[in-house]
Amino acid sequence: MQRMTFADAIIDGLCHALRSDDSVSLIGSALLGLGPHRRKVDRIKQQFPGRLLDGPTSEAALAGLGAGAAMAGGRPFVDLGTASFALLAMPQIVNEAAVAHSMSGGQITAPVVYHMLHGVRGGGGAQHSTSPQALFWNSPGLQIVLPASPRDAKGLIRHAFKTNSPTVILNHAKLMPIEEDVPTGDFDIPFGQADIKRAGRDITIVATSHLVQLALEAARTLSGSGIEVEVLDLRTLCPLDEDALLASVSRTGRLLVVDECPLRCGPASEIAATVAERAWSSLKQAPQRLTRADAPIPCSAVLEAALTPDAEKIVQRVMQMMR
Amino acid sequence: MPSSPFPPSPLTADALSAIYRQMVLIRRFEEQVQRFARSGLTAGLVHLCSGQEATAVGVCHLMRPDDYLASSHRGHGHSLAKGMRPDRLMAEILGKADGYCGGRGGSMHVSDPALGHLGTNGIVGGGIPLAAGAALAARQAGTRQLAVCFFGDGALNQGITFEVMNMAALWKLPVVFVCENNGYGEYTALEDVTAGSRLAARGEVFDIDTREVDGMNVLDVLRTVEQAFARARSGGGPSLLIAHTYRYSGHHVNDQQDYKAADDIEQWQQKDPIQQFKRHLLEQGLASAATLDALEQAVAQDIQAAADFAKAAADPSPESLSTHVYAE
Amino acid sequence: MTIPQLDATVRQRVFERMLLMRRLEEGVFELADRGAMVGHFHVYIGQEATGAAVLDAAGPDELLLTTHRNHGHLVGRGAEPRRLLAEFLGREGGLNRGRGGTLHATDRALGFLQTSAIVGGIVPLAIGAAYTLKNQNKAAAVIAFFGDGALEEGYVFEAFNIAALWKLPIVFVCENNSVGAVGQQGGGYNTSVSASTQFTAIPKVFGIETRVFLDGNDVDGIRHAASEALQRARQGLGPTFIETVTTRWPGSQPLWPELATGVTNLAVALGGARAEGEHADWIAHQDPVLRVARELLDQGVSAATLDALDAAIRQRISEAIDFALHSPDPQPATAADYLFAQGQ
Repeated sequence: MQRMTFADAIIDGLCHALRSDDSVSLIGSALLGLGPHRRKVDRIKQQFPGRLLDGPTSEAALAGLGAGAAMAGGRPFVDLGTASFALLAMPQIVNEAAVAHSMSGGQITAPVVYHMLHGVRGGGGAQHSTSPQALFWNSPGLQIVLPASPRDAKGLIRHAFKTNSPTVILNHAKLMPIEEDVPTGDFDIPFGQADIKRAGRDITIVATSHLVQLALEAARTLSGSGIEVEVLDLRTLCPLDEDALLASVSRTGRLLVVDECPLRCGPASEIAATVAERAWSSLKQAPQRLTRADAPIPCSAVLEAALTPDAEKIVQRVMQMMR
Repeated sequence: MPSSPFPPSPLTADALSAIYRQMVLIRRFEEQVQRFARSGLTAGLVHLCSGQEATAVGVCHLMRPDDYLASSHRGHGHSLAKGMRPDRLMAEILGKADGYCGGRGGSMHVSDPALGHLGTNGIVGGGIPLAAGAALAARQAGTRQLAVCFFGDGALNQGITFEVMNMAALWKLPVVFVCENNGYGEYTALEDVTAGSRLAARGEVFDIDTREVDGMNVLDVLRTVEQAFARARSGGGPSLLIAHTYRYSGHHVNDQQDYKAADDIEQWQQKDPIQQFKRHLLEQGLASAATLDALEQAVAQDIQAAADFAKAAADPSPESLSTHVYAE
Repeated sequence: MTIPQLDATVRQRVFERMLLMRRLEEGVFELADRGAMVGHFHVYIGQEATGAAVLDAAGPDELLLTTHRNHGHLVGRGAEPRRLLAEFLGREGGLNRGRGGTLHATDRALGFLQTSAIVGGIVPLAIGAAYTLKNQNKAAAVIAFFGDGALEEGYVFEAFNIAALWKLPIVFVCENNSVGAVGQQGGGYNTSVSASTQFTAIPKVFGIETRVFLDGNDVDGIRHAASEALQRARQGLGPTFIETVTTRWPGSQPLWPELATGVTNLAVALGGARAEGEHADWIAHQDPVLRVARELLDQGVSAATLDALDAAIRQRISEAIDFALHSPDPQPATAADYLFAQGQ
């Protein structure tokens, strides 16, 4: 075990993948964002010279290159930067990588791993605050992974290189400094296994990514008021661990889904609908969603905060629900 | 380069002063932005254009108020040169309600339709299709407006740049593409990511008139752009200008610039656009030292006033959140 | 520089591929007439020389990508006609088990990767495949087939830039079929939606080696160029862009393809028949299959040999049509199969 930051854990997972499989390569060295953590990528450059390439500002071509490289037997990890830029790569991700296996009748596999930093990072404005996971989830054929803790980051990233379908990993700039004890050896966490980050009897909060950390913070506050929150970290939207979801809600009877995608057609809506359809009889009240607003994120810090979920808003909503 | 069929129009003393003043204004503005950024007052990242003043001013000086401008993420200079007020621009950069976009756009998404300013843009190459679209609209409306779009060398590798240049050439759109080649896309050197021995080929392949120009020399920029504008307004179609220039600061304000050679900045400072132009004005007797000093002082005051205005301005109110998500 | 002429053996091999491509497409029209084809389709008639010549130069380890106009490439590389036709009909016996159809048919065992119907879509994928071959140190290359329309798509430019920058082992084959006869004669070829009058100028921007064949039926030249390009790629010298220009086949004119030039009559080349009908001129002067047949005669191959070849091919196609028509529809319960790949 070693205490590591989320950023360290990402690099650690990648190093294990690079070490154990020659077909793994990385394209794009900006995967840790712009902050001080970005230097940690140097470890990969030093330990695995020639396995990390930087490309031009050509998201579509690089995404397609990744898919094609995978079809030919490679296992590329393509960093697309801020998730908003991934939208430039949509044709190659959605029209090519996602559909390759099914439209070829199983002949072609495209195990490419795409990586991006999503969400409201602070001052990003309308074009640097996108959370595109809903768009990807609505494009069948993509595995969608959102680690929420250092240990999960390492294990989930490691697992991406063992699957045979295209994967989109969405990390979050605000997660980078978080620390926890992480196993130092090579391990992976299978997709489709949600994790109860905090057990509780009164209400289930479902979240992914940075929102898990906010939910945990809210849970600590609520505990002081005698409300025990269960925080269920989905870890992967696709495959979705429906069993864990339904089991948790059947225990608590209450559901709040927290997400940073805008409200309409977002993951929160999908989770709420799934629970309403399949666990209706367990519910003591209607499921609720707490998400980013349906508006582009403004640059002003005050406005940005007003539109974005935070721990305080989660606390308020839970207290309302528990009344 | 072939000799120009358009002899450069003589610049009046007033014009020369205005050009000088504008470049100094941009330089001082960026210094103030940097101070605000270091004290944590700017909303989000800022990308400074210090060193690139000659391209902004050289291009915008001959633009008409109703010509369109699309800018990049490094657009404070373009914005000021197009006529934005330093105080409201600074307020926007600080995310304040009195900024040009009510604090919603910030440095990378500031615009003003009244000035034909389609916006600075956070997506590399994002403004290029917008400029071409504005040019198309102008052509269809039969006005003689033109559109200018600024982008960096990184955008030369974006697919959309090619798509738009192709269409602009096919449809003879009145658009002038200005590539500010400062040698770096973020922290990566141009030559590491751009294949082919000549940047100009990227425009020539579509039969677009392409010129390379010394982006540190405002008069060179002016002369070259004058021809491009004449071409656009007369229905002759698009032009591509590749201006070789330099940014003293990093990609964004916190960039430590360890990818630049130690004496890189020094070498380029010897070609500093403002110093160059000042020397030219003084040596050619086109302006007196006293006049230029007075201009510099006036600029310093304007920037101070702008900074005070921006700092004192109010934050947008949360109640105004959903305003402008959809148009009325 | 004179290109060495293909000897009769090689030319005949190329011809056999071309004739197979042609008869397959005629089979497609037969199936369309019967109402069995699913959706819109695109045929390779008139372009066989490029595909056959390039495929003849390709080695077994090469990887290939193609577009919605893939029938010729697949069958020319060795895909079974019966499995191709069944695929076009969306049947279980098809190469893609009926899931790809005419737009996405592929044969992984023969080295084909994704077949994409998005204009330009395969180009970034193709450079990716080349990237893998380079990483694996394989002495093999990628062949990417696409049309002139792809040169309007931005990410194709992006891909050219990267292929040149990283010296990827790839041969880009651009089949320009948009030229009408007048355009080609006039010398100002290319389509109306590119401002570039010489398509090879585009890859040249990135320093990519180019070859252009204004006579897209020149199998000698094309095969030689392909061979050289593949060698260059395998030796780590980077990409090549080969453009071949063919006069647009009359059957592609309408929105829905029609067998406007009729079932190919080899006798027009071998002797005993004349080109007839509304498109007699195309048949007499532009048909690549008939041209290469004439070239073979000139090299001393007998008409009887070619007729026998044709008979065998037509028999294969006839059986393939039968197979396709009798191939069952896939089970509805399997509609979402292959969404994710097995194995972890």
